[in-house]
Amino acid sequence: MIEVNHISKDFVSPKKYPGLRGAIKGLFSNEKIVKTAVDDISFSIEKGEIVGYIGSNGAGKSTTIKMMTGILNPTKGTCRVAGIDPGKRRRENAQNIGVVFGQRTQLWWDLPLSESFTILKEIYDVSDESYREQMAFLNRVLALEEFFDRPVRTLSLGQRMRADLGAALLHNPKVLYLDEPTIGLDLVVKDNIREAIKEINEKYQTTVILTTHDIGDIEELCSRIIIIDEGKKIYDGSLDKLKDTYGTKRKVSMEIRQPYKAKNLDLAKMLDVNTQECLTEYDKENSILTVTFDKHKLQVPQILSAVMEQVEIKDVQIQETELAQIVKEIYNHGAVEGV
Amino acid sequence: MGKRLRIYLPFAANELKRKMAYKGAFYLFIVISLFKSFISYYLWMAVYGSSNQAVIGGLSQSEMIVYVFMVYVTSSVMIPISDAISDDVVKGTVAMNLIKPIDYRLSLISRAVGSMIYNFLAPSVFIWIGVEIYKVTVLGLAPVTVERIILYLISCIMSFLIYVLFDFCFGMIAFFTTYILGLMMVQEALLGFLTGQLIPISFFPQAVQTLFEFLPFSSMIYTPVMIYLGKYSGEMLAFVLARQAVWIVILYVLGSMIWKRVTRRLVVLGG
Repeated sequence: MIEVNHISKDFVSPKKYPGLRGAIKGLFSNEKIVKTAVDDISFSIEKGEIVGYIGSNGAGKSTTIKMMTGILNPTKGTCRVAGIDPGKRRRENAQNIGVVFGQRTQLWWDLPLSESFTILKEIYDVSDESYREQMAFLNRVLALEEFFDRPVRTLSLGQRMRADLGAALLHNPKVLYLDEPTIGLDLVVKDNIREAIKEINEKYQTTVILTTHDIGDIEELCSRIIIIDEGKKIYDGSLDKLKDTYGTKRKVSMEIRQPYKAKNLDLAKMLDVNTQECLTEYDKENSILTVTFDKHKLQVPQILSAVMEQVEIKDVQIQETELAQIVKEIYNHGAVEGV
Repeated sequence: MGKRLRIYLPFAANELKRKMAYKGAFYLFIVISLFKSFISYYLWMAVYGSSNQAVIGGLSQSEMIVYVFMVYVTSSVMIPISDAISDDVVKGTVAMNLIKPIDYRLSLISRAVGSMIYNFLAPSVFIWIGVEIYKVTVLGLAPVTVERIILYLISCIMSFLIYVLFDFCFGMIAFFTTYILGLMMVQEALLGFLTGQLIPISFFPQAVQTLFEFLPFSSMIYTPVMIYLGKYSGEMLAFVLARQAVWIVILYVLGSMIWKRVTRRLVVLGG
């Protein structure tokens, strides 16, 4: 459905100098700064996939989306969406796609929502019959009737986002781009939006590309994720694989009865592994012993029995590494090895 | 054609509705622009009063009065679109227009049509009728003929197209400089002269007249108003109308060329 081949985008801007002197200097200098927002990215996405496209702020996510929608032309490389080059045949491409930019609205600000939908119906050339059918569906999943006759400017953020999603789906696009669709929404609305996206994907086999900073969105919706950082692709694969590869650390916290014994506890030595694979920390105040270990090397029962040989345990808690933690680590360290 | 109309007509209709939603701004606009016309009126009265010529620049005092108020009526078809372009660029909403399968320029022009119809129907037609009544009863001139009204309206429609097509090209500057508010003010001031809005072009020295008539701007206001005043006839009339049509074609082609270049190097701000 989507083919992206070695796509790059450079932004050229005049060089700025600091201060008043710099501002004057800027008037006469002609130096340019080239910033590469997207650097040689390739991927392909099949019909019906929901792909999470994630990266830190300014990583180049929106730029990639804009190139796939035909708003921006890539500096290098090519891109095809449903067989069409969006940069060259923007209007044809527009017929195939639906876009929601979470921070913007594509609705007419001063007009009632119903009017916006009427215009969109004409723009996308939706027949009366499919309009009725699609509206019934959208009303069910997004509950648009509640505010269908109100001017868009009076809608709350959650309502506006539902309306925007509805507007992007009216012509039943093949590909749906969602650029931070849940930004600033409360938990209930977030859930509704996610449900709606899932249903649409199931019902119409719509390909969905989603950029988000909300780990919940990714965990609930995406089977596959692409991570980019500083314009480069650093991970492309399934969510499970990411968790499996990077979420190798598990944590066991134990509250123990004999704090004085905890000091001498050296689990790594006892279990015959190095300290990287099994790190023991002790919190004196709460008498909590925390063991962080590699789940491929050790099992929880091994740790527990080793600890229980020495001390008595009151309470145990086991934590899996969260996706948020993994993603944070990836952002911090840049390129991921072995992918 | 039918399909195009169905797509772009809602833009015009919406603009009309939107204008109606902001009534206060609209009435204020009428008061301010009428005020300008009256300033112009009193200024010309003083000029004619202190002159020992009855006819200046080919216009008698009575014709001058008609000229001043018909300029007001005619300029209501000059609907700026560069402000919308600048807004779209600054706010980044131009992206929202580009993700839809529509032609940006046509959608802007359609919106301008909505504004034009509103401006024309609400204040301009009434002022026009007022001018006619005043002209016949007080100034004692012959009422305008139906033929001339039709020619005037045709010329007005072409004025509208010349202006929006020109303003589209002008608005494209926003894609390079982002803000064009200052330039818009410069444009307005220059157009006041070049279109004959402030001073009829026939008042200028011959060389300047030739230059002004060569430029597209005189076709925006001066031409339709002079047609209304019956200053053109026969071949000359055909020539000025043809000149308007030629400018429409030139500005249309120019706009398409610039738009192509702009979209190639487009930078969408924010997001």
